[in-house]
Amino acid sequence: MPALKVEGLTFSYGGAPLISGMSFALLPGDFMCVLGPNGSGKSTLLRLITGFQGGASGSVRIGGQEVKGLDPDRLARLLAYVPSETFTPYDFSVREAVLLGRTARAGLWRGYSAADQEAADRALEETGIARLAGRSINTLSTGERQLAFIAQALAQETGVLLLDEPTSHLDLRYKAAVLDLLKRLTVRGMAVAAVLHEPALARLGCNKALLFRGGGGYSFGSAAEMLSPGALAAVYGIPPESPLIPR
Amino acid sequence: MTKGKYLLLPAALAAACLLSLAAGPAGLSPEIIWNLRLPRTLAALAVGAGLGLAGALFQGVLKNPLSDPYILGTSAGATAAAVLCFIAGVDRDSPLFFLAVFTGAFGDTFLSYWLARLAGRLSDASLVLAGVAVSAFLTALVMLTLTAARERSFSLFYFVLGGLYMARPGVLIASGVIIAVCGGLALVRWRALDAMSLGAQSAYHLGVSPEKERILFFVFACAATSAAVALGGTIGFVGLMTPHIVRLLTGPSSRTLVPASAIGGAALLAAADAAGRSLFAPAEIPAGVVMALAGAPFFMWLLWRSARGRT
Repeated sequence: MPALKVEGLTFSYGGAPLISGMSFALLPGDFMCVLGPNGSGKSTLLRLITGFQGGASGSVRIGGQEVKGLDPDRLARLLAYVPSETFTPYDFSVREAVLLGRTARAGLWRGYSAADQEAADRALEETGIARLAGRSINTLSTGERQLAFIAQALAQETGVLLLDEPTSHLDLRYKAAVLDLLKRLTVRGMAVAAVLHEPALARLGCNKALLFRGGGGYSFGSAAEMLSPGALAAVYGIPPESPLIPR
Repeated sequence: MTKGKYLLLPAALAAACLLSLAAGPAGLSPEIIWNLRLPRTLAALAVGAGLGLAGALFQGVLKNPLSDPYILGTSAGATAAAVLCFIAGVDRDSPLFFLAVFTGAFGDTFLSYWLARLAGRLSDASLVLAGVAVSAFLTALVMLTLTAARERSFSLFYFVLGGLYMARPGVLIASGVIIAVCGGLALVRWRALDAMSLGAQSAYHLGVSPEKERILFFVFACAATSAAVALGGTIGFVGLMTPHIVRLLTGPSSRTLVPASAIGGAALLAAADAAGRSLFAPAEIPAGVVMALAGAPFFMWLLWRSARGRT
């Protein structure tokens, strides 16, 4: 059974459809990059999949479960989402922030159980930021902060992970570290989809690609065929021999 | 948090209570303390707890460190409803009075919130602007009413200024119970409030319904504010300042922040009221004026700090 299955997804913000009749499926272990021009609907797609943005027609299933009408606390046990904007004015420690990934499992009022603490420990280990556990999230570097919110998502222990521009504003070292981490997650069976801005990053482990063409058009397929210089050049409207196109 | 920090809040509360019981031009006779200062101290504690609690809830659920019942227009809505009730002759300890005040508070808060959302993305500044607009309009209405009903406006004038003079036992008990219940119900949902303080989008994906939590915490915060306004009129800045001070001791998690803000608000207002009674004795400064004198510079400092944080 696919980990994530999207069928006939159609959405507009009121004018022309931003996403029209989109269908694709991810299996456990798939790593999909979402590429395309600014404003073509990449980030919107992720929010439509999670149901945070309503108003779409079509169907989204996670592990066979239809997302429409699903309570957020059920959804948060099936799917985790790392937003592109994680600003908060409050100085939560990294550990507190990661433990909040257990919200759906811990219930509302009781403290965190031993299982919750272990899940947080594992997430901190896996993202390599255990040493930062006691620090305030607002004192971290951009890269460390991104890893902290990925750790929060991992503490949710879901089969599907969506990330909106997880590598923006990061230096090359952290870009590589984040992609490497995501690749490792897929090896242990998670299905991962990430909106990326640079096609070159997709070469670091993605096996599937979803290309937005703008105006509602898209193409989905294996990374090898989707990320060919010709296909990318057409999507971004630059010559195929541009140094920005990876080969 | 270390043990010493835990003890700091109760110590501040005890000190504020002693100060409030002892301070004032009339000396230290047992009758004065028992008949005048004790009810007044209890009223200050209840009002402060309600406002501190409401501030912590608003700041968390809106992810906005500049929010409190005064700035969002909650207090102005409650005050306007209370003044209307006075004019209409509704008794101050009747359930209808509390219901009307709550309706004013809740309606106004949602109006500010809705106006701020109209501006597109909900930003800290747009919420403050909307609150200021709504408050200014309602305050003008209140002033209009005060001028029109001149023969009854003397006690109303002091009510609007925010003072703790004539706490009726019935109102004191009702307000205290409402604030305690709201605090308890909010504390039970501490994890949802923590999730909301990461933003509505994060909260949703962590498993919390932002729409539902927003309404619930607005209800708790507005009910606590209404109870505080019913007892002490419009007193600003307690809700704004207390959570910021308390966070330095407890950290940002609502599990400790919610009860600590109630305790801290109680201590802060009891101290402010004691200061208002004694600094310029025999003249008495309303607690609301004392809080504005201390709170407005604090708000300016917050604005300055948040502007610096974004660059």
